[in-house]
Amino acid sequence: MEPARRCSRGVGMAGMVPAEGGLPVKPPSFEYFAPTTLDEAVALLAQHGDEAKVAAGGQSLVPMLNLRLARPAALVDLNRVTGLDYVRAENGHVVIGALARQRAVERSADVAARQPLIAAAIRLIGHPAVRNRGTVVGSLAHADPAAELPAVAVALGAEMVVTGPNGERVVAADDFFVSYLTVDLAPGEVLKEARFPALPPRTGWSIVEVARRFGDFALAGAVATLTLDDQGAASDVRVALFGVADRPVRVPEAEQVLRGERPDDDRIAAAAEAARAALVDPPSDVHASAAYRRHVAGVLVGRALREARERAQASG
Amino acid sequence: MVQMATPRGKWIGARVKRVEDPRFLTGDARYVADLMLPRMVHAAFVRSPYGHARIKGIDASAALAAPGVIAVLTHADVASVPPLQDPIALDGLKKTPQTVLASDKVRFVGEPVAVVIAEDRYLAEDAAELVQVDYEPLPAVTDAEAAMAEGAPLLFEDLGSNVVYDQTYRFGDPDSAFQQADRTFKKRLHTNRFMASPMETRGCIGQYDRGLGELTFWSSTQMPHMLRLSLAGFLGIPEQKIRVITPEVGGGFGQKMTLYPEEVVVAFLARHLQRPVKWIEDRRENLMSATHAKEQIIELEAAVKNDGTLLGLRATCIGDGGGYSFNTASALVEPQAAALMMPGLYRVANYEARVVAVVTNKTPVGAFRAVGWTAGHTARELFFDEIARELGMDPVEFRRKNMIHEDELPYTTCSGQVYDSGSYVKSLDLALQTVGYDELRARQAELRAQGRYLGIGISPYVEPTAWGSEIALQVGFPFPSHDNARVSIEPSGKVTVAVTTHSHGQGHETTLAQVAADILGVDLADVTVVFGDTAATPWGMGTYASRSAVIGGGAVTLAAQEVREKILKIAGRMLEADPADLVLADGKVSVQGSPDRSVTLAEVAVSSYFVNSVRAEGEDPTLTATRFYDPKATYSNGCIVVVAEVDPETGQVRLDRVVSVEDCGTVLNPMIVDGQIHGAVAQGIGGTLYEHLVYDDQGQLLTGTFMDYLLPTATEVPPIQVEHLETPSPVTVQGIKGMGEGGLMASPAAVAGAVLDALAPFTPKVEELPLSPERILRAIGTITD
Amino acid sequence: MKRAIALTINGVRVEAEVEPRKTLADFIREDAELTGTKLGCEHGVCGACTVLLNGEAVRSCLIFAVQADGAEIMTVEGLAQNGQFHKLQQAFWENHALQCGFCTPGFLMSSYALLQENPNPTEDEIREGLSGNICRCTGYQGIVAAVKSVAGSAE
Repeated sequence: MEPARRCSRGVGMAGMVPAEGGLPVKPPSFEYFAPTTLDEAVALLAQHGDEAKVAAGGQSLVPMLNLRLARPAALVDLNRVTGLDYVRAENGHVVIGALARQRAVERSADVAARQPLIAAAIRLIGHPAVRNRGTVVGSLAHADPAAELPAVAVALGAEMVVTGPNGERVVAADDFFVSYLTVDLAPGEVLKEARFPALPPRTGWSIVEVARRFGDFALAGAVATLTLDDQGAASDVRVALFGVADRPVRVPEAEQVLRGERPDDDRIAAAAEAARAALVDPPSDVHASAAYRRHVAGVLVGRALREARERAQASG
Repeated sequence: MVQMATPRGKWIGARVKRVEDPRFLTGDARYVADLMLPRMVHAAFVRSPYGHARIKGIDASAALAAPGVIAVLTHADVASVPPLQDPIALDGLKKTPQTVLASDKVRFVGEPVAVVIAEDRYLAEDAAELVQVDYEPLPAVTDAEAAMAEGAPLLFEDLGSNVVYDQTYRFGDPDSAFQQADRTFKKRLHTNRFMASPMETRGCIGQYDRGLGELTFWSSTQMPHMLRLSLAGFLGIPEQKIRVITPEVGGGFGQKMTLYPEEVVVAFLARHLQRPVKWIEDRRENLMSATHAKEQIIELEAAVKNDGTLLGLRATCIGDGGGYSFNTASALVEPQAAALMMPGLYRVANYEARVVAVVTNKTPVGAFRAVGWTAGHTARELFFDEIARELGMDPVEFRRKNMIHEDELPYTTCSGQVYDSGSYVKSLDLALQTVGYDELRARQAELRAQGRYLGIGISPYVEPTAWGSEIALQVGFPFPSHDNARVSIEPSGKVTVAVTTHSHGQGHETTLAQVAADILGVDLADVTVVFGDTAATPWGMGTYASRSAVIGGGAVTLAAQEVREKILKIAGRMLEADPADLVLADGKVSVQGSPDRSVTLAEVAVSSYFVNSVRAEGEDPTLTATRFYDPKATYSNGCIVVVAEVDPETGQVRLDRVVSVEDCGTVLNPMIVDGQIHGAVAQGIGGTLYEHLVYDDQGQLLTGTFMDYLLPTATEVPPIQVEHLETPSPVTVQGIKGMGEGGLMASPAAVAGAVLDALAPFTPKVEELPLSPERILRAIGTITD
Repeated sequence: MKRAIALTINGVRVEAEVEPRKTLADFIREDAELTGTKLGCEHGVCGACTVLLNGEAVRSCLIFAVQADGAEIMTVEGLAQNGQFHKLQQAFWENHALQCGFCTPGFLMSSYALLQENPNPTEDEIREGLSGNICRCTGYQGIVAAVKSVAGSAE
């Protein structure tokens, strides 16, 4: 896909009339494949390389096709591959297969019990019709920097299971999200599964964002988890931001302020300020400038940490 | 002075369900995109990617060779079609002709340059990408003030300037008023460019019959007869050989009251290709090339006494007209309307207004609900809030002091509007009472102590309506305006009402049927309202500027009254009674006092049509009357109050509720009035907080899809409570006034006012809209870099 | 190259040969000749194209017809049964939940899906559940009132 100048959330659409002068909403032609096994899918992707795109939920991809911002020669549709729609608890993780729909994951009892942050993040995504088709793994592979799930993956230290012509490999979330709409997937590879660590005991969590309208992509957002020890100090703190860079970012500067300390309001405020100051170059677009994103990121880190603390304290 | 000749029956004023709804609820309603004709082909337009450029050449050979392509047309192929140009006759208004396909130059991104015709839209879009246009980009100018400055790139070299109008009007003695003032104040507001964005985009189908020399043209338009007139002129086809049909129209709001180059091109193509040609605009095209609206740079000055009395006003309204002074009402449509209604419902004896209209390299501006008034009213109300604060006065008291009171009506403003009747202070009082103003102020103080910021915005308004010739002149657009209606009784006794106004959501099939049903004493179900087909209706000007209730309702009233007289004459002969002694009700004519002496309307009709002896010589057997109506100026009024909470750390706004008091005279159907207010207020919320057509300095539209052009949804629009007052107009048929635009005129000021009131402790300063979260944080100094 | 597909729409089997890039929305409107489903943006924001696919609300402009091969689709034309309005249609009528009507099929399908999942939603849940559909005429007041009036009634 040709690089697009970042103009708006999600789809990168500065300069709306392409040089060709059309304003299409019908997609261009492509070869269509609907493999029934993952191996078949991988073979097709390897065969077509850069010219192929994977279709799962389609909620991010198809708008780009309709607007002709993406023109893959081949579309490899995963929807006919069986056995990929699982979401379950396994070995201290919640594991989610490539075709698990956001709606199903949102409602999963295992997610509610083991890692409610995932469900909370999904509730901030778009609208019911989008979540009925969209997949969790698809959102991760699409890697919009303003999306919630990649930031949750980074905050929790999730693992991405990639499968390709050379077999399977596991990539840490930190390494998986490379840049704007760019992930560590080589031609022929597909993201098969995401593994999210379950919430440890005495851990509170939060995800907060500022969006222009309910369900829109975030202008900025923060994810936080806070684990308390017996003395009520933070034995583990994780803070991640989305919408403020070309990918989701952990904020060690904020985490350091709290690690080992009681998370009182002053320390949380200091952590929020550290997050704000650490933001070097947030993006600017028609909806918000870098200055706004920087300021709001600080505000949201504070709110996320306070909410995570309340949940941690309530969890006994 | 028009008498209310008919006492109110059971239908007018009733909250009746709309008779048209079932077909929309089942998916059977047909809009232009739903129509399929045999051998139909599809158009896709090639549009300029540059804000300003010369066209050096166009090579369509690759496109012509693409699969399924039938034709590609450029300006050279349609050079016989005259350019579009506005018809406004005002001294000093320069004209900016627009060829239907760009000829030597393009002046806005999205301007149509070529058209591709193919067997389906997918193939047409494929081929459109293959049309090679050789552009020489020119420097663009995208700000109205920059366009006015020396050395600005010129859109029309032969005009020598980008200013197409610059006139100053003086009423009373503004200079003395300012000299005598205790205090003077200034304000600047640059209102945001936003647009109608109806859910149904534009679209049309042309079909030409060579044998008959007839063009049938379906279009999603608000003005079928005006479109027919225009097409006749542009294509050289006699009017009588053109039939314009509007299928259902999915919203217009003024955007579809204009003639578009695409419509002329499609009609041309239908004749040229001898196959039906369909063009359905897509959403990207609509956002980019259907008319934009609302952007003005307004500077106000006020001369005030220490006690808050307004002595005089000065206004400069600069309309950012876009690439062409557009063909319906010119680039004056915004600033002229704003300037002339600036005094609003306030007592202002001395007023000076400079009206400037400028062309810029952006999409042309056209009418959109409350055109001009939205920007003017918003600027004035926010200005008055600032003045009140400076004087230490409650903004409500400042308004009460300067508002025209009911006992001063009728009132002629210094700028020439004649306010016939209204309830200005009563509406304000009712709105404040309904919202619980005093309790809200107390709650505001409580919440502030907790670090929460609640605000109240108050926006009383007077609304020009009905758009007859007189009011058109009063608000700055001299153009004759009238419409008519034909009412007839069929042989079966059923009533047909053919009107020339046109519904695109306003429920005319119901409201105008209510009018006829009351006068003719029939059930609503026995009345059919016909509109939207030039072959089936008399000539008229369509629906815009809140005309239909008054003009449509008025014309239907007059025609129905005439038909009623005819019915009573015939029935009188059948019953051997004096028509004056007859009662027409419940589908029957009976003798007053002797209800058993009666005939049904069906019997009257059959007799009239087929029994000569009941008719005198020369009497019309078909019980039909056509009457026209051009009403005297009549003004509605109301008051909108918005309650909002603002998060001063993120700039996010949560609207708590809206109260709208509306006085539109005699109400035909309160449910429909409520619906109009809800919709207009929602658009005002959009235009104040969310919607913005943003351009870069080369004229590229940065908000070209619904991902970036943000329409409010059910989570952004709060509950809206409507209260009705009814002050019948003394000058119109049945005392009806128009309505529908007040919500968009007045709600932006109430929304913005609520936000600014919430943040009053931070003394916010706002000179630009919309109030995005970022603008709010900048207004209170949280972000400065 | 076209593919042969078959779907069931409102209980009726529809077969056609389509290019893979043809959207489900266009298939419904052109091949099945059911024009009740509308196109408002064709990039997945406005909700006018909402239909039910295997019982779930989806944006039909974001699905290719070939992806729906073998699926069961319900459109607005399938709401009324035996000439009787579905209670949502009746409620929309009574509450003036439509003006120009263009967004109405999408809202009916989204509301139908909402109530299937959550038969007794609060007003906030209704507004959030319908936030993926845009209306430009009604300001949503009548729509929310209509869905509220149906909420809680057994189906």
